[in-house]
Amino acid sequence: MAKKDKSRQKKFDTRIDFTPMVDMNMLLITFFMLCTTMLKSQTLDLALPTNDKVDKEEETKIQESNAITFILDATVDKTGQKASNSKLYYYTGQGNEEGAALTDITFGNGKDQIRGFLQERNKDLLKEVNKLKERWKKGEIADTTYNNEVKKAQARQAQDLTAKRPIVIIKPTANACYADVVRMLDEMQISKVSTFMLQPLNKQDSTLYEQKVGHALGAK
Amino acid sequence: MGKVKIKKSSTVIDMTAMSDVTVLLLTFFMLTSTFLQKEPVQVITPPATSENKVPDEKLVQVLVAPDGKVYMNLTGAKDSTQLSTETFRTEVLQFAYDKYCETHPGMPKLTASQAKEFSKIGTFGVPMKDLTKWLDMTLEKRDEFLKEKGGIPIELSVKDGTTRNEFQTWLLAVKHVMGGHGEDLGRHLIGGQGVAIKAGQDAPFSHVQMVMDNLQTEKLNKFVLMTSLKAEEEK
Repeated sequence: MAKKDKSRQKKFDTRIDFTPMVDMNMLLITFFMLCTTMLKSQTLDLALPTNDKVDKEEETKIQESNAITFILDATVDKTGQKASNSKLYYYTGQGNEEGAALTDITFGNGKDQIRGFLQERNKDLLKEVNKLKERWKKGEIADTTYNNEVKKAQARQAQDLTAKRPIVIIKPTANACYADVVRMLDEMQISKVSTFMLQPLNKQDSTLYEQKVGHALGAK
Repeated sequence: MGKVKIKKSSTVIDMTAMSDVTVLLLTFFMLTSTFLQKEPVQVITPPATSENKVPDEKLVQVLVAPDGKVYMNLTGAKDSTQLSTETFRTEVLQFAYDKYCETHPGMPKLTASQAKEFSKIGTFGVPMKDLTKWLDMTLEKRDEFLKEKGGIPIELSVKDGTTRNEFQTWLLAVKHVMGGHGEDLGRHLIGGQGVAIKAGQDAPFSHVQMVMDNLQTEKLNKFVLMTSLKAEEEK
């Protein structure tokens, strides 16, 4: 009798049903996907001059004839929250010469567009940077060395008064689109412009603007 | 005639493998992602090719809403012995509020519980006169108030920093607190990695200009602009 009992002992199934576990996990995954972000925002560094009295050096820099001034403009809609229809103009030199006028230019990589325009004027430095880039691509120099060398080359160029280089002054009007300003600053990084500044429009710029567009700054 | 045998197959599927996969996915999401910050307005930052990451500590984030309203968000150091987020927020609040009360007598006193409440709030930005009232509100009311009557007053009266608007008072408080917690922190702020401006890509530049002017007046000339990554162009 005892023998028979033993053989009839119930065998438990050791398998556990995982379906509820999967359900729960899926819910948690959904929660994390909805409530979190994987993207970390990127940043663009910007340094403004101090508000203290502009020293002489700064002023002479701007006097240089290879200054290029970009004026960014756009139309703001009735709510005053959205700028669109952006426009970009530039003039070279100081803008008070005879026959100074604004010229249209557009964003983009083309030869007549902003990228080509700046890179043509910054050829010397870009040649140097390209050499570095080749070495970086081959793996001869590390990322940080590359970045440092580029910075050094820029600093060298900024010191060298005879160097052919663009000095870019970015002047956004009050209506300009913020994205355009950032894009402009980004272009400076891409084209390795060593000196660029962000400034408000002065009287002379307003006059040039009025000549070009046909109405005063800020008027419709 | 042989009977046709219908094979009876089990309908139970083994879920163990499935469970393994989901747990892995879950772990991945938990480790790699960060929680979305609750902000009164959602803005889409403009695209740029820059790859620098926004600092995740010792940061003052200035959020510019599409309508030009300005909000702030303070984050302390990760190393909480240096300056924890809570201490940072409480001290900044204390300093800024005291400074404001100097020129505006008759303001209600800031209580400890209000200060504690403030240390838990991420994005803030109400006029000082509403601040204590705002801190006493419930969560939902607070969000609503922030959206409708929020925004730190930012209009510049004088550019030389003799009279400060509220935004500048906050900035001054930030500078004071960061500077008071070690030279490193002060340098970090001045060095440009301590202030980030977050504005929408469609925003008119005048809104951002206003913030920049204020920062400049407080001698915070270096800062970062928050952008989103654009498809990589050749380095």
